[in-house]
Amino acid sequence: MAAYIIRRLIWTVPVVLLVILMTFGLMKQIEGNPFRQTERAVPAAVQANLERKFHLDKPWYVQYGNYVKGVATGDLGPSLVLRDRTVNDIVKEQFPNSIELGLLAFGWAVLLGVPAGVLAALKPNSRFDYGAMLFSNIGFALPNFLVATLLIYFVSVKWGLLPTSGWTTWQHKILPSFTLGLVPMAYFARLVRGTMLETLQQDYVRTARAKGLRRRRIVTVHVLRNSLIPVVTAAAPLLGYIITGSFIVENIFAVPGIGRYYVTAVSARDYSVVMGLTVLLSIIVIFANLVVDILYTVLDPRTREART
Amino acid sequence: MRLRTPLVLAAAAVAAVALVAAGCGGGSESQPAADGGKKAASQVLKMAWGAEPPSLDPGLATDTTSSNVLLNIMDPLVRLGDDLQPVPALAESWDVDGKTVTFHLRADGRWTNGDPVTAHDFEYSWKRTLDPKLAADYAYQLYGIVGAEEYNNAKPAQAAALRDKVGVKALDDRTLQVTLTSAQPWFVQQAAHHSFLPVHQQTVETHGAKWTEPGNIVTNGPFELEGWQHDASITLVKNADWRNADKVALDRVEGRIIVDGTTRVQAFEAGEVDLLDGGGLPPADMPRLKELPEYEKYPALGTYYYGFNLKNIPDENQRRAMAFAIDRQSIIDNVAQADQIPATGMVPKGIPGFEVIEQHFLPTTADLEKAKEFMAKAENPKKTITLFYNDSPGHKEIAVAVQAMWKELGIDTTIKSQEFAQFLEFLGPPPNNAVDVYRLGWIADYGDPMNFLELWTSQSGNNNSNFADPAYDRLIEKARNTPNDQQRYELYRQAEAMLTGPQGALPIAPIYWYTYTNLERESVKDTFHINPLDQFDLSKVVIREA
Repeated sequence: MAAYIIRRLIWTVPVVLLVILMTFGLMKQIEGNPFRQTERAVPAAVQANLERKFHLDKPWYVQYGNYVKGVATGDLGPSLVLRDRTVNDIVKEQFPNSIELGLLAFGWAVLLGVPAGVLAALKPNSRFDYGAMLFSNIGFALPNFLVATLLIYFVSVKWGLLPTSGWTTWQHKILPSFTLGLVPMAYFARLVRGTMLETLQQDYVRTARAKGLRRRRIVTVHVLRNSLIPVVTAAAPLLGYIITGSFIVENIFAVPGIGRYYVTAVSARDYSVVMGLTVLLSIIVIFANLVVDILYTVLDPRTREART
Repeated sequence: MRLRTPLVLAAAAVAAVALVAAGCGGGSESQPAADGGKKAASQVLKMAWGAEPPSLDPGLATDTTSSNVLLNIMDPLVRLGDDLQPVPALAESWDVDGKTVTFHLRADGRWTNGDPVTAHDFEYSWKRTLDPKLAADYAYQLYGIVGAEEYNNAKPAQAAALRDKVGVKALDDRTLQVTLTSAQPWFVQQAAHHSFLPVHQQTVETHGAKWTEPGNIVTNGPFELEGWQHDASITLVKNADWRNADKVALDRVEGRIIVDGTTRVQAFEAGEVDLLDGGGLPPADMPRLKELPEYEKYPALGTYYYGFNLKNIPDENQRRAMAFAIDRQSIIDNVAQADQIPATGMVPKGIPGFEVIEQHFLPTTADLEKAKEFMAKAENPKKTITLFYNDSPGHKEIAVAVQAMWKELGIDTTIKSQEFAQFLEFLGPPPNNAVDVYRLGWIADYGDPMNFLELWTSQSGNNNSNFADPAYDRLIEKARNTPNDQQRYELYRQAEAMLTGPQGALPIAPIYWYTYTNLERESVKDTFHINPLDQFDLSKVVIREA
């Protein structure tokens, strides 16, 4: 097992290098000038000074080499647009907020989505089942920005129950995390219901029932555990995505996270921020997948043998 | 795969943010109420900023938010009155003698660490901004000073020598002498721009790029930067030691950064903030917001225009026809909806000299009869054209409206959009042959028509129209060297006539002049004011009892 984990960890290095190279190549391909954020033309001298300062006057392979060297030493470089800050500053100050938002959203999804799916599967075609699935379909179909706007309009502006935006007290954190959690919540509910129903049809469940085991024990020990494997598979990358932030939710609720920079940095051509955040995201997804694989072996002993 | 969907939507949201950041505005001036009401006991202002300031270094800041934070924590040499004339601030007076401007500083200017503010601070700061190593985007704001451009353009080896040749010199602690490349009668006004603010040398050298963080930063204005949570909040507190502190009413300004325009309005409506920063209101909400008592609008120095590519649409009668066919008022009333002013020239209403420069030629509503007359005179008019705009919200709707208006002239217009950064590169210079017509806007840096008219010189980096007229270039050069306002306005009138007058070449069809729109609680409405350059002075704001 230890050897397997080490092997996987070593493999992350070439993957990250490839991610950097591809992002770097893509960013260089799109037109646009990071030093021209308005319609004002940039005088040649100013452009040259800026390119010299940020080493954009060097050949691309030197830039790539320098960047990789920086990443290896934990330095993601300066932002080309936010001149007082480095990418490390942005990540250090704002990533914790995105993680918190993502974990809270994930919390909503697990606490409400999984039980809803389980209960719906245990009483298929009941009123509860229809209600839960209708709710999850709606949650799935509605775009974040609409949910966010409606929640702010009713809960904050009309009823005055919670603040509209910001990220300071626990009250501020309810609406954004619920909005971000809605899609995974709906997804979990549907996924759990589906896999539960499937597991309930399995031979070993019938055997257990024939042996006279109590329904509660069948469900908790035999069904639930096996039904959760696909959920874990889906959950880890999902968690990876939501803790790296959501542009829309962070933007609408004015949450000072890093999600917004995935989008704004691209339109501003802030190369170093785009690359830094892509590296961060890829590392998180790689680790999330690693965690999934380890969890598999815990949940499903069959996979253990194949990997030792 | 489903996780990708939000990213697609994100693109739309980015566009929305971009429009809000760009700001779009609409019509009249705010009048201070005659009866201001009683001063409230608590002088804590809660406001919303529309963006995270990219930099609070006067040398590096380029955007409106940074500029407005800076102008409230720093003390500029001069501030601008509503007529855009300079008013003494840190400089108590100044002399202008041809190309030499001498500022006389007040004796009581103090940095927040107790050091006196001297002319040497300005000399250091301006040269720092021009230092090629700092690589300041707005270094060119100082190019009007002798030797400035040469120093900014210097190779590292020659930099030190060229630095000493820059025409800014502290004659003593309180006298700052500036030598200009030409008369530039607007220079004193221009000194109100944040690029001309001083920095505290020792602080900059001690903390490097981190000198603008709270705790490090040393300023010299009416407010101090108490806190700055990136992307979340900016807290200003009154600087009790400021030279004019007894005139400042506000004790604190608790600013929140809310980028999304709709959320900003909702935070205002929920009572969380009492003032927005004039960064624009969401176009979709305009009809409703305009009816609120808290709604306010201010004229801006900015022009939204369509540029013509003179190589592709070579006949000036066709360009005249197209400019006459545009119903500017209808676009404002039905599409843009932010109380903008129909633009009949490049130089916007409200700028000093406008009454002289104005052409009275282009109509504010469509004049189809005349448009068709011009069209009939055009030789080989181009009947199939392509119009390019950037994909921020609002531009497409205007393009569609203009497309329909030009249809009346028998012109088939294809409209194409591009993402902003790409669009700017695409347009040129040199002008792109694929473009027949393009959308752009121009917001002034300083309050002189030069700022608008020099765009159309043949060497201008902002001229994508292929309009190049040596006579026009000569006029602009002459205006640069004409200190007398009336004489200079007369030159500007001639230049504007060459663009949008009856005999003008019409390289552009102006659409509207921008307006800043805002929401302001009535407790601060009579003392808060945004000037035509989008600057506001919080030291003048008093919170009244409701």
